[in-house]
Amino acid sequence: MGVFKLKKGYDIALQGSAERRLEKTPKTTAVAVQPIDFRGLRPGMKVEAGDSVSRGSILFVDKQKPEILFRSPAAGTVREVVRGERRVIQRIIIDVAGDATEKFKSYTVDQVNAFSTSQAKEVLLNSGLWPVLRQRPFSKIADIDVSPKAIFISAVNSAPLEAESDMLLDGLEKQFQLGIQLISKLTEGKIHLSVSAKTKSFFSKIKGVELHEFSGPHPAGNVGVQIHHIDRILAGEKVWYLSPRHIAQIGSFLSMGEYPSSKTYALTGSELEKCYYVKGTEGALVSDLVGSKIDNNTQRVISGNVLTGAKSAAQGFVGFYDDMITIVPELEGRRFFGWLRLGLNANSFWPMFLSRLTPQKKLAPTTDMNGEERAFVSTGEYEKVVPMDVLPVHLCKAILVDDIELMEQLGIYEVAAEDLALCSYICPSKIEFGDIIQKGIEAMEKEG
Amino acid sequence: MKALQKFLANLDVKIKEGPFKVVHPMFGAINTMLFTPGHGTTTGPHIRDSIDMKRFMGIVIFALVPSILVGSYNVGHMAGVEGLFAAFMFGFLKLLPIIVVTYAVGLGWEMIFGHINGHDIHEGFLVTGILLPLTLPPTIPLWQVAVAVSFGTVIGKEVFGGTGMNLLNPALTARAFLFFTYPGNISGDSVWRAIDGYTGATPLSAAAAAPGPAVDALNSAGFSLNQMFFGFVPGSIGETSTIAILIGAAILLITGVASWRIMLATTLGAYGMALIVQFFGGNVAGGMRTLPAHYHLVMGGFMFGMVFMATDPVSAAGTNAGKWVYGILIGVMVILIRVFNPAYPEGMMLAILFGNVFAPLIDHFVVQANIKRRLNYGK
Repeated sequence: MGVFKLKKGYDIALQGSAERRLEKTPKTTAVAVQPIDFRGLRPGMKVEAGDSVSRGSILFVDKQKPEILFRSPAAGTVREVVRGERRVIQRIIIDVAGDATEKFKSYTVDQVNAFSTSQAKEVLLNSGLWPVLRQRPFSKIADIDVSPKAIFISAVNSAPLEAESDMLLDGLEKQFQLGIQLISKLTEGKIHLSVSAKTKSFFSKIKGVELHEFSGPHPAGNVGVQIHHIDRILAGEKVWYLSPRHIAQIGSFLSMGEYPSSKTYALTGSELEKCYYVKGTEGALVSDLVGSKIDNNTQRVISGNVLTGAKSAAQGFVGFYDDMITIVPELEGRRFFGWLRLGLNANSFWPMFLSRLTPQKKLAPTTDMNGEERAFVSTGEYEKVVPMDVLPVHLCKAILVDDIELMEQLGIYEVAAEDLALCSYICPSKIEFGDIIQKGIEAMEKEG
Repeated sequence: MKALQKFLANLDVKIKEGPFKVVHPMFGAINTMLFTPGHGTTTGPHIRDSIDMKRFMGIVIFALVPSILVGSYNVGHMAGVEGLFAAFMFGFLKLLPIIVVTYAVGLGWEMIFGHINGHDIHEGFLVTGILLPLTLPPTIPLWQVAVAVSFGTVIGKEVFGGTGMNLLNPALTARAFLFFTYPGNISGDSVWRAIDGYTGATPLSAAAAAPGPAVDALNSAGFSLNQMFFGFVPGSIGETSTIAILIGAAILLITGVASWRIMLATTLGAYGMALIVQFFGGNVAGGMRTLPAHYHLVMGGFMFGMVFMATDPVSAAGTNAGKWVYGILIGVMVILIRVFNPAYPEGMMLAILFGNVFAPLIDHFVVQANIKRRLNYGK
């Protein structure tokens, strides 16, 4: 077992972490599958508004790779296919009714062990769970025709208020092991599973993986950071990654012969009176999961964590890859001489506010930008929150001047927007590192 | 408060669309100084650090307060004014017009360029506008200040694209401009005491001119190490008091605004080079080469330049490894100029500008090293 003690990074002390208890399953009234959750995907629709679907019915396919299927997480009627700007399909909303379920062949452990690579691919593609596999560089759905160098799984939870892997996987040990058997057929290389001191006990008995232990502040739990330390991505190389929960989902599919859409969510954030875990359906409606009332004007609903999650709403849905909802207060307006305040409750990485004297104190910051965009001024601090041998400012400048070669040399293949999210957070010039990285990744993709 | 906010919002629209559009960058700066801009996040990260450029630059100004206070007192003290408060007021009234002219002229330029480039006045100038006056002698003619600020702001910063893009520190660029265009008003023996008829060499020129051991010359001129440490010697307004600057340095280091790497590296570079110069200085009877290394650290503009100018994040090296090289380079250069340049005993300004010019090159090598590590990975 490799042990990695990362020093760089930063944990934002936030109110509203989920208690380790599972609440009663609330009623599911609606679910949605959102093509916008899958970067670069162009969906080929197989249903339209008014159609009845079962759990496991095909909703749409990837237009470029029609073998990649997206299945319905619940039975019911398609309420709407929501389109955004330029008629881009954003989500397919399904009003949940009944429990009609599509049946698939189920497999035993021995049968899965006997799979060839192509059999494993075929089964996974047909299950509708292929999209759980993502590929680096570029953080997109894994390319079917690629044989990845290795597959990485992070069971380290370092993001703000992040759901803990062992809570999400409670009772799913067998399914997890079965899922590992299947994905081990997809690569000639190793399966790297990273755990933390907290999640170690759950995963220590898992066979067929190379275990690594990571400790340190966020983003130690980011798979990109772990890849950097375990086995860096060089030009031309591809690796795949997926979350532990998705492995268990694959295992459930194999053993049940049904599309498994039940999953555990963490409800977090300072605006929630009680924070806990709850069972729900994939693509769940936010207001179904959150018992209390949400005011979209004064509260920000985030699908995912505060750093990298997507803005949602009470009537919004949780993203495909997200296991948590965070609710924080919306910005309250302008503050008189805000830059002069003593800052007893100011959330800050910088030792410029009195809150520095109480580092353990959990705060409830709003969605205030706390400033305006400025030119790059500060130097040397961004590196403190990036536990990789990457120069964040120089990489971003290379992207801003569209220097493809330099981007490649400075490690664009090794990073995703989420890995530099803390740079945006701490930046006094309020520069959006994530957006810039995303732009760089898109430029690299275009370049081929 | 709500009424004031509403008034500002209305005024904002009126100015933006009215005939006085050119003052909008200025108005925007004042507006957001009174009340936070009040923009919310639209994408992740949904919450942001409480820090902004106003706080960042505000801390630098706060760190300059001890130098302003002690410097003002010393201007009065040097002019022979008796009494703590009277001396302070005398000096402060010399400093204030310089600051006012610097801000008025500098902000005027910032406003014009802000208008052209469509942004508010950037907070960086608030610091430049205090730094420059503190590096000048109290007798500097105000029109020269105005010309220098114009040069520093326009040629030193805006032609490169404004704050964040400049190669050189704008305050030092302005000072260097004065130094080369009007040397009679910024160097020599007659400019340091703000009272007619008095002349007095700075400790550095006393040391440079010393026929015997420099320390003896300093002592006989009345410049003990203590006095130079506390700042009661002739010199530029803000740079004489080492203790005041050290308080500022502590503020900058505690808050993380300035780089400790640069400060430490510059100190080590200067101290090391001064030791070397002393050791290999040859058998000279007097002058700078006989000055003990630690004297260099409290004399002239070294401390002020190191704490407030060399650490300017925009014109310094940006990489952490680069900061070490950059700091050492400045430290070494300042001693070389002080000791081996016969024309002028102070070297800090030119050493930092020299460091500024080399900073991109230093960073280039650090970046190349990063690229090389990536290429060699796994081989």
